[in-house]
Formats: sequence, C-alpha cells, structure tokens
Amino acid sequence: MILAAAGWAGVMLGLASSIALAVFGFRALRTPDRATRGQLQQPVVGMVVGAAVAFIALEIALLTDDFAVSFVAGNSSRATPVLFKLTAAWSALEGSIVLWVVVLAGFTAVVLRQVRSVDDRLGVGALAFMGLVATFFFGLVSTVANPFEVLAQPPADGPGPNALLQNHLLVTIHPPLLYLGYVGFTVPFAFAMSALLTRTPGIDWLRRTRRANLVAWSFLSAGLVLGAWWSYEVLGWGGFWAWDPVENAALIPWLTATAFIHSAVVQVRRGTLQSWNFVLVLTTFALTILGTFLTRSSVVASVHSFTQSPVGPALLGFFVVVVVGGFTLFALRAPGLASPDRLESLASREGAFLVNNLLLSLFAFVVLLGTLYPVFVEAFTGAQTSVGRPFFDRMAVPISFALLLAMGVGPFTPYRAANGRLLWARLRPALLAGSLVSAGLVVAGVRSVAVVAVALLATAIVAASARQLVTSAPDRRPATLFQMVRRQRGYWGGQLSHIGLVLVALAIAVSADLSERTTATLRQGESVEFGGYTVTYTGNETIQRSHRTEVAAEFQIREGADVVRIAGPSLNQYPSQQQAVATPSVWSTPREDIYVALTSLEDGQVSVNLYRYPLMWTLWAGGLLVAAGGFWAVGGRPRRRVRSATPAAVEADAPANADAGAPQAVAVLSDPPAEQGEGRDRA
Amino acid sequence: MPDRRRVGVTSALLLTLLTVTVVGLFAAGPGPRDRVAELEGQLRCPVCKSVSIAESPSETAVAMRRSVAEQVAAGRSDAEILQYFEARYGEWVLLDPPAQGRGVWLLVLPAVVAIGGVVLVLTRARRSPDVPELSDDDRDRVAAALADARIRRHPDEDDEP
Repeated sequence: MILAAAGWAGVMLGLASSIALAVFGFRALRTPDRATRGQLQQPVVGMVVGAAVAFIALEIALLTDDFAVSFVAGNSSRATPVLFKLTAAWSALEGSIVLWVVVLAGFTAVVLRQVRSVDDRLGVGALAFMGLVATFFFGLVSTVANPFEVLAQPPADGPGPNALLQNHLLVTIHPPLLYLGYVGFTVPFAFAMSALLTRTPGIDWLRRTRRANLVAWSFLSAGLVLGAWWSYEVLGWGGFWAWDPVENAALIPWLTATAFIHSAVVQVRRGTLQSWNFVLVLTTFALTILGTFLTRSSVVASVHSFTQSPVGPALLGFFVVVVVGGFTLFALRAPGLASPDRLESLASREGAFLVNNLLLSLFAFVVLLGTLYPVFVEAFTGAQTSVGRPFFDRMAVPISFALLLAMGVGPFTPYRAANGRLLWARLRPALLAGSLVSAGLVVAGVRSVAVVAVALLATAIVAASARQLVTSAPDRRPATLFQMVRRQRGYWGGQLSHIGLVLVALAIAVSADLSERTTATLRQGESVEFGGYTVTYTGNETIQRSHRTEVAAEFQIREGADVVRIAGPSLNQYPSQQQAVATPSVWSTPREDIYVALTSLEDGQVSVNLYRYPLMWTLWAGGLLVAAGGFWAVGGRPRRRVRSATPAAVEADAPANADAGAPQAVAVLSDPPAEQGEGRDRA
Repeated sequence: MPDRRRVGVTSALLLTLLTVTVVGLFAAGPGPRDRVAELEGQLRCPVCKSVSIAESPSETAVAMRRSVAEQVAAGRSDAEILQYFEARYGEWVLLDPPAQGRGVWLLVLPAVVAIGGVVLVLTRARRSPDVPELSDDDRDRVAAALADARIRRHPDEDDEP
C-alpha cells in the first residue's frame, strides 16, 4: 500500500516535472532574458527523482511479494527466485515503461549537463523536446500503463512472470540494453528538432549528440545480439533469428541509426547531407516508437507480444504525432538550413557513405514493409497473411553482400575524389588475402557460394584494416599501433564494428549453409549417429523446483569410444502455463555447437531435435565486437575545440591527418597524389 | 618502377586464385535441390509464432513435414503442395506471399525505393558544381595552413563524429 503510493507519487512527480521542463524550455526560447537555468534544472532533477522512486518502489514491491500492487499480483509469485523477481519489473508492459522513463530521465540529465546557460538555445530547445517526450511516457505510466494500482482484495499469490522470461540469465540484461538503445535515440531527435525550431544551422547538433547517439547505437547493437542469443539458448527451435515482428522492430531503427552514424560523418567532414541527417534522425526516433507499438500491442501476434492493452492506441497516436509534427517542422525549416551540395565524385569516401546510406535505408524499408504488410492487408481486406523468412532472406542477402562490398572499399577510399591507382594499391593485398582464403576453402571442399563469398570479403576487410593501420602508423611497434587505435577512436572504433559485422555475416552464412539437423525418437539406451558423434539417450529425471517442474533427459554424446559430453535438455512445466517450455542443451566448442532440444518425453520415449552449427561462437563474438566498436568510438576524453588561426575550411580537411588516411588529405591537394603511406610501403 | 613486376605478380596471383574459387564453385554446381527443405521453409507453423514448420519442434509441424515429404515423394509439384496447405490453413500458412495480386507490392515497392534512391544519389553527384583548379599560389597557402593545423591539432581530437 505504501509502496503503491510511493510509486504513484514518483510517477506524478516525474509527470509534473516533464511538463514543467517542456513549458520552461519553450518559454526560455521565446523570452530568454526572463529564463534562468534553474528553471530547467529543477524539472530535470524532479524527473530523475520521480522515475527513480517509481522504479525502486516497484522493485521493492516485487521483492516483498506485495500483491496489493497490481503489477506484482499480475507478474510475480512467491515462488519466483529473487533474481527473476527483480527482472519481472521489465517482463511485462507497465514495468517496462517504468524502466523506460528511468532511462529517459537519465539521458535528459546528461543533456542538462551540456547546457551551461539559457543562452544555449540549441541545448535549451533539446531539453524542451525531451520534456515533451517524457511527458508522454510519464503520462503513459500514470494512466493506461499504471503498475501501481492498488488491489482491494490482494491475491495470496500471483502467476509469476512469463515462463519464457524466467529461465535464462540473458533475460536479465537483454531488455535493459535494448531500452538504453531505444531511449537514447531521443537525444539526437530532440537536438535535431531543436536545431530546426531555433534555426541553428551547421553541425553543432551533430557534434553534441555524437556521444549519446553512439552510446544508444552500441547498446541497441548489444541488445540485438543478446536477444538473438537468448532466442537460441532459450526458445529451443534451433535458430537465433526468426524475422519475428518484434525482432524486426528492433532491427529497423538499428539500420537507420547505423545509416545516420555514417551520414553524420559526411556532414561533419564535408558539410553536406544536412537535410538527409534530419530525415534519418526523425525516422529513427519514430521507428523506435513504432517498434514499441508493435511489441507492446497485439497488432502482430508474436512471441514477445505478451500483452493486450490500451497502450497500443496511445503509442500509435504518439507515433503519428512524432511523424506529422517532426516532418512538418522539417518541411518548414529545413530548406533554410540545408547545406550546399558539394559532392564532387561518387568515387570518394562520401560517395561510399552515400551508397552505404542507400543500402541501409533500403534494408530498413524492406524489413519494415515485410513486417507491416500483414497488418495492412488485414486492416484493409481482413485477410490473414504472413511474410516470413523466404521473403526477408531473399531481400536481405543481396543487400547484405552489397553492404559488405561497400565496407571493404569505403573506409579505405579518400574523401572528395578517389583515384583508381591509389585504391587498387590499397586494396590489392587485402584482395589477395581474401582470394587466398576463398580458393583454399574451395580446394578444401567447401561448396557453399555464400560461405566462400563471405569468407573472401571478410578476409579482405580485415586485411585492409590491418594494412591501413600498419601503413598509416609512424612505425610498426605494437605500442605505436595501439596508440593509433586509441587516438583515432572514431575511425578505429568503426573498423572494430566492421570486423564484428564481418564475423556476424560469416556466422550467418555458415549456419545457413553448413549446419546439420536431424530429428530422432529414442527409447532409453538407443542411439543416433549425428555429425560424427553417437548420441545415446540414457534416461531422465523429474526435478520438482520451487516454481516449476523440470523433466530433464540425459544424453551421452560419444566421439568414437569416448564420452565427450553429457547433454541435459529439459522440459519445464510451470503451474500457470499450459504448454511446457523446452530448454535446449547447447554444447559450444570453438569448432561447433551441438544443440539438443527435446520436443516430447512420454512413455519412456523421447523425441529430440539435434543441430550442429559450425563456428557459432563467431556470431556472439562478432555481435559484441560491433557494440564494443561503438563504445570504443565514444570513449576517451571529451573533445575540446582547439582555437587556431587556421581558416575553418582548412580545419575541416585537417583531421584527415589524424585519420588513417594521411595520404588522403595530400591526395586532395597534390596531383598526382603523393602517397606517403604507399611510399613507405614500397621502401 | 622497381615494383612494377611485383604488382604484375600479385595481379596474376590474384587472378589465379579468383579463377580457382569461381571454377571450383561452378564445377561443383548448385548441388541437388532439397525440395522438401525448401517447401518446409515456406510453410508457417500453425501453432507457433512466426516460424516455419522447418524450424518448429511442435507436433503439428512434425506432421506437416511428414506430409510434405510424402507429397514430394508422390511426385506432386511445389505449387500443388503449397495449394494443398493453403486450402487447409488459408493464405496465412504461406510465409512467402505469391507474387500476384496484392503480393506484387512486396516486389514493386522495394524496387521503386531502390531505383528512386539510385536516381537520387546519381543526380546529387552530377549536380555538383565544377571546382576551378587551384592556382599554385593558393595551393601553397592551403598546404601551409594545413601543416599548421596539423601541428596545432589536439592529439586526442577525434576524427570522425
């Protein structure tokens, strides 16, 4: 009762503070002389305190089994282990919106730190827009998604969290990571809207949102990978990506945000693509709202859509407001801010960035189309249709290959205008390494075109990065090389992410073309030959756990005469759920994963699915490397502008010195290009 | 140039290796087509969430897989088999909507966006103004300013936004 009241009070404080932030923020833009920074600071403090109080109250209620609180009664039980009581907070809609406002308040506080005075119109406007967004989400928690309703007759016990959400550790971190990503994109959105509203031209808004944007992107990347991992380890269908609408909902904003990270480079370095960056930021934010809508309403039935509530219409309404409002403001203001067209040649770094943006946008569009098609068909005709893996794979595979190609060329191409000879010199060793690997694979008997092609591109990309590092460093001592990677965090963080993506691509190709799978029904003592192993069903036991009944089967995996592994997949029966949840047993080695999943166990007879996935670890390692690259790029000391007498236009080109391509800046200026890096190569 | 021969050698080596790769893959051919697996991937599991019967461990999916295998063995065509399941479970069961009727949108819209994007990128590149060649004087001044900027540059300054 006290907890419900405290939580509710926190939400109310947050709501009032958000409204105050929006009001004072916009007023400070109109009449700056009457505004003070304190008018902005106090609401932000209120938001942080309110969100924290609500979240802590919710967690304490869950931990103390306070079933008078509606959310606890609906989503927890006495028997739920402590860890899963904690994570129950984000296992259902209301609690996850509370987590959302916590993250949003945190990001708002970070933005406030940047805004030193009310004269900073861009920052003040951004705070005001963040206040608007926060108003919506606090409003959501206080109305249709209120977790703190007090039940007059509290039940003695609750049903516990969704069964799928209480049997793996990954579920404890996957949703918060995803939220850190989703919510983080509010910052670039707010700054973009503020730049439009206050008519602030230039790259200020990009520079100031670089960190928030990269942090959000990295968390979203990590969230996507851990989500795939969770799907693989928990759902027991033997895969990691089902093109499920909820997976797509997280992938689409990731794609547009990735496009934005690249196009922002073009604007900062070359001063072009201003309007396009506004479009990408607006789209990314709108897509996070759309994604939340798809996830949190039953508009598309899927694994994650475990709820049905009035939150759906609210989110859809907010999505429409964001899209209509955002693009109206864009249409009114962007023409006055648009940067001049300065693309000189498509064969240049910025040309490669454009191709990258084209591909990523197309990718995002295709996934969005496939996800929404059934919704629209049903809305207009009432017919039930599906769009699944065959469609998405057919579209995604060619686009992904094109992206890999761009990834192999783009980062090693100079800005402004590339010269064929220079590019050929830079890429030749990489291509040689790649073709060496591909020819080796073919000779070794690999016949999958996808695997061979990805291996070629992957090797080439890694080799080109390594070559770039070595040739652009003053000397080849490891300490110097590390110093390079540490100083040029933007470039090398990006390259780390690229190498991570290459590993992911490799894992996807290998799992698609070189995996094996079989289904067997075995009695005790019977064996099946699979992937070079003998798998024997040796028995089962029933374990009564506090919150579930677990039937664990035991399989001996033998290689020749040696037992190399005992696999123990299980079926979990939860009191509140009808269907048993299968927990697969995954045996990971550097060479391969052996995945054993039970489908049924009755009358002493067990049905089992066996999968062999070669090199599966590269998927998780690659995915985490993608995120790590993003964090690497953020890390280090905050940038400080150096005052110098150098004309701004020269300044814009100068970073090329710090860039891996010292030769690039020279290539721009002198003709024929004096290739410092290449010269040293030949020496 | 002293390294011309080295470039020639690497190019020849590159060409050889790529030829080995391509010829090797072509000689192997596409391999036997696994019609059963392809069809399984196109049918949605009726009792699961958004996975095909190929990926589902459920009993319904197992039964449907058996039916697919039997029909393939009986010599029925892909279209006939898909129609069989569509008649039983509705259009919903097809994970790959047929490219006719409203399903055409799934092909047309991506194509329109792709072509539009390419046109946009190409026109952007072409619209660029011709930058006049720098005079030697200007070139020297820019080089000097650039060198100056490099010296003054803060070492931890980031190069990419």
